[in-house]
Amino acid sequence: MRSVLKEYNFDWRFWSILDNACKMFDGTPKEFQHTVPYAPAFRETSEKILGLGEPGLKLVKGTARYMENILKAHERGRKIALITYNCSPAILYALDIVPYCLEGLSAFYASTWKMGISESLDYCCEVGFTETSCSGQRVALGSILAGLSERPDLILCSTPGVCDSNANSFAFASAYLDIPFCQMDYPPTLVDEAANEYQRADFRRMITFLEEQSGNKLEPDKLREICEEMARQDELICEIQELQRLIPSPVPGVYNLLLYDIKVLFSGVPEGTEILEAMLAVAKDNAARGVAGDGEERLRGMFFYIDHYCISMKYWRWLEKNGISHIGTMMTDFWQVDAPYAKGREIEGYTIDTGNMDAMIDSLVGQTSRMPMIKQIRGPYDAPHMWLDDTVGVAKLMKADFLAYMGTMGCRNTWGMVKLIARDLEKLDFPTLILYADSFDNRVEPVDTFLGKIDEFLRVRRIRGWEGARWTG
Amino acid sequence: MDRIAAGCDIGSLTAKAVILNDGRVLAARIIDVKSRPEEAARSVMDLALADAGLSRETLGCCVGTGYGGKQIPFADEVVSEIACHGRGARWLLPSARTVIDIGGQDCKVVKIDKEGKIVKFITNDKCAAGTGRFLDVMAKLLGVTLGELGELSARAKKPLTFASTCTVWAQAEVIHKLNDGETVEDIGGAINEAMANRVVIMVNTIGAEADVCITGGVSKNVGVVKAMEKLLGLRIKKLRVDPQVVGALGAAIVAQEKLKGGR
Amino acid sequence: MREEINEAVTTLHNRYVRQWKAQGGKVVGYPCSYVPEEIIYAGGLLPFRLRAVEAQSTSIGDTYFGPVICSFPKCILQLAGEGKYGFLDGAIICNGCDSMRRLDECWRKASEDYEGILPAYFAYFAVPHKVEDYSLKWFTGHMRAFKEGIEGHFDVRITDDDLHRAIREYNRGRLFLQKLDELRIADDVPISGAEATAIVIAGTGMPRDIFNDLLEGILEQIGSEKRKIEGKRLLLAGSVIDDVSLIEVIEGAGAVVVADTLCFGSRSYVDLVDETGDPIEALARRYLNHSFCPRMFGYYRDRLRYIAERARRAKVDGVILQNIRFCDLHGSEHGIFERDLEAQGIPCMRMEREYGPLAEEGRIQMRVDAFLERLRG
Repeated sequence: MRSVLKEYNFDWRFWSILDNACKMFDGTPKEFQHTVPYAPAFRETSEKILGLGEPGLKLVKGTARYMENILKAHERGRKIALITYNCSPAILYALDIVPYCLEGLSAFYASTWKMGISESLDYCCEVGFTETSCSGQRVALGSILAGLSERPDLILCSTPGVCDSNANSFAFASAYLDIPFCQMDYPPTLVDEAANEYQRADFRRMITFLEEQSGNKLEPDKLREICEEMARQDELICEIQELQRLIPSPVPGVYNLLLYDIKVLFSGVPEGTEILEAMLAVAKDNAARGVAGDGEERLRGMFFYIDHYCISMKYWRWLEKNGISHIGTMMTDFWQVDAPYAKGREIEGYTIDTGNMDAMIDSLVGQTSRMPMIKQIRGPYDAPHMWLDDTVGVAKLMKADFLAYMGTMGCRNTWGMVKLIARDLEKLDFPTLILYADSFDNRVEPVDTFLGKIDEFLRVRRIRGWEGARWTG
Repeated sequence: MDRIAAGCDIGSLTAKAVILNDGRVLAARIIDVKSRPEEAARSVMDLALADAGLSRETLGCCVGTGYGGKQIPFADEVVSEIACHGRGARWLLPSARTVIDIGGQDCKVVKIDKEGKIVKFITNDKCAAGTGRFLDVMAKLLGVTLGELGELSARAKKPLTFASTCTVWAQAEVIHKLNDGETVEDIGGAINEAMANRVVIMVNTIGAEADVCITGGVSKNVGVVKAMEKLLGLRIKKLRVDPQVVGALGAAIVAQEKLKGGR
Repeated sequence: MREEINEAVTTLHNRYVRQWKAQGGKVVGYPCSYVPEEIIYAGGLLPFRLRAVEAQSTSIGDTYFGPVICSFPKCILQLAGEGKYGFLDGAIICNGCDSMRRLDECWRKASEDYEGILPAYFAYFAVPHKVEDYSLKWFTGHMRAFKEGIEGHFDVRITDDDLHRAIREYNRGRLFLQKLDELRIADDVPISGAEATAIVIAGTGMPRDIFNDLLEGILEQIGSEKRKIEGKRLLLAGSVIDDVSLIEVIEGAGAVVVADTLCFGSRSYVDLVDETGDPIEALARRYLNHSFCPRMFGYYRDRLRYIAERARRAKVDGVILQNIRFCDLHGSEHGIFERDLEAQGIPCMRMEREYGPLAEEGRIQMRVDAFLERLRG
């Protein structure tokens, strides 16, 4: 890693970017325009986020606070838990432990900050990771392994049974840095009694680990507060997704990113609820006026795995400016029992019951075991309640015109069967594109290249008479 | 006349021979390998001997190395090319402790001790993207020679992100960028930068210890070398012979030691 | 190497399988050391560990699996697609790792295109990634269901006595192999690593009782032969190795592999199954408390202890940590092993390689040569 990158910690830099962005966004448009030339690398990202209005502003402020919590955790006598994105932070908030979500930060670093991402990624390989490992963890993990970040006090990983590559990264970090490790392991099925029992026991064991590590006890009142906030957030998410069904979709495409950002970073805390309320207001307003969230809807696309995060949010801008309504990914399916796609499949959904401690913990068990990927990828893709079922359900409900797969080169489990699911989806009349880009590492297939591939696919398959992208950046 | 020591390095693309007499390099030759390794070995050794005005009979000891090392009919011993690169580099630069060898087919980083013996090494040969092959392919696409490719970095004005993870995909990327109107200089610079990046990961894995030197054909690409220096934050020392013959030179040094009753 | 061993190592449809089938016996394949062979054996079926030694291409494997996947399950699928696994009456696919578990879907999908390649009994077996009382409980229940599945499909009844018998037979073999381990690490090494691993591999392709008898004979023979194999003593660790050519390349450079932590190796026999009590519970305990594989997340310290102890007992000169390309579980952990073993004074070499038709001997040779030169000092 270049010495210049070692001058300041990565997490501090990111917080500093966000903190300054907040100040920029709080100013007048003229002040914004005046400041941007001093930070040219952030122009496009800033404009995209700012262009969202209040939701964007609240997101940046919320994330700045999230980063500040990490930076000041030790000062404030709190423990930091390194967690994976599908490990809902609600239980951590309930125990006053500071969450540090690796993939969330990887996505943020990749989309805001070009300079040191590849070196942080590569640093992991320098200390022993295979170069074929998933990039989703490596972007932020490199900075932690290099000591250029607040050091986590414990590691909590919820991907065993779901994703080896992900779990491996956390296990590596634990072994390399000698940090206490706790995994939540998932059986390959979702709704049977044995699976339920396993998950309930596992979650409680995790709570014991967290209590031991933090010295804090899980209190029912605090937990209730978190659960009630989460329940409120779930209502808002379901409402937004219900609106997405409208044609045109009144929900701006980048709201999908916000939906899972909120679930991953702000589950159970007011920051998340505020952003969702602001988002819902915009979506409702668009719906009332019958306008598309991004101005125009030429096509409805479902990216049935994950999105792309580098660079300068170009993927999001491309979709928006070309009138492709982004109608969801695996990352936006949380399986609340009231989610629009859960109708008729309520057994697969979860509810929040704040009656007593046990009920609340069981609610969290239900919720965490349905986090994106934990639900769909734990078993064979074509087994009941797994990836194929979920993708088809959402695609039909949201009336997708096409589906696209994009992930990372390190994703063993999906690359192990993506051709099969694409084949099944095509048979069901969903034009399906497999992309080779890496969501976190722009060196694999640069963003312009794969956007060109999407464009080509739409043209060649004549999806709704697509004549080509009007904006290429 | 003192008996002559020789080293012969048969790679997959080139064959090299070096002839030493009492610590002096009498001849050094590189030829392309077009045929079987035994024939390439004979050809390159004969050329080197002719340059030195010597015959095969004067060869006291010859050590073979490289992928085709075991096929050299006149080799008295075969030593790994990793060891030979280390010995050769050390002989040329006594302060050398880290040797980076970027050849056509693979890339190695070797840490040596003060005697030139291997302390640690790492190789990458699973993927073309970290080897000379990558540059070969890219240079052809840009319509420049390998030497010219190296010089492009100095004239590059704009940093470009480049699909550097896979040589195959990178080709489409070059064409795409040319069509987009990016300059050959900027693309060339990005290619060199990408190459340097991949090699530096390996160097950092093993931990660079000064002095660092570089061998193999790719070391003639000034763009890659400069980019590596910037990423590593240290100078890469030049060796005073053609970097492609360092392996053969190392083999010749081992041969010389054998003649003197060393090993 | 004994001819029967050699045949079983190099040929899938070996004489024991042919004999078994000729007598009306059924064969059930499984891909990973976490599947309880004893249950299959107790049902009067032949457990056959899936391998891919005969694969010459990955054309079929590549059609279903994506590009960035370990070649081992790809090559197994290749062979299945070519009909080479036609002798299987059943196959169990297990979630040993992500690449392996997708063999389930890929094989099923391939059978839509290649008629008859899917064995009549095809089941998915899941193993938890951690050892806790509740994961053991889940696993025990799952194992019982697994047993019932076999009973149902093959119309057999597997009693506790049958299971105890099978467990004893397998333990007997494990004890013999532990003896082989002891012989291997003697100061005068009487058997090469290639030969020793060949024995373990061969054992996975024949009935256990026949293997045990063979093994007993081999141990006597080794004891009486007084061979002495020269070379730097190595421990071999890492990804699955199901044929001996890699070990032959390593040993051909002047080394002898005296110990390993491989799954077609010590992992399969250093721990026994409890021969008392409920046999399913005993099997579940043994197969779950099996943290040798990096698929068990968070057990690095245990694995480090294991590999360091084995290396010291075997008085090795060095350790080779090899992984198949795209095996991130082994590959990444080797980075930490190297750091920690070298700190304990044990020289290591990490080696990433390809598996199957893409494997290139020359490259491996180059690295092994250099490592041995380093060891010779």
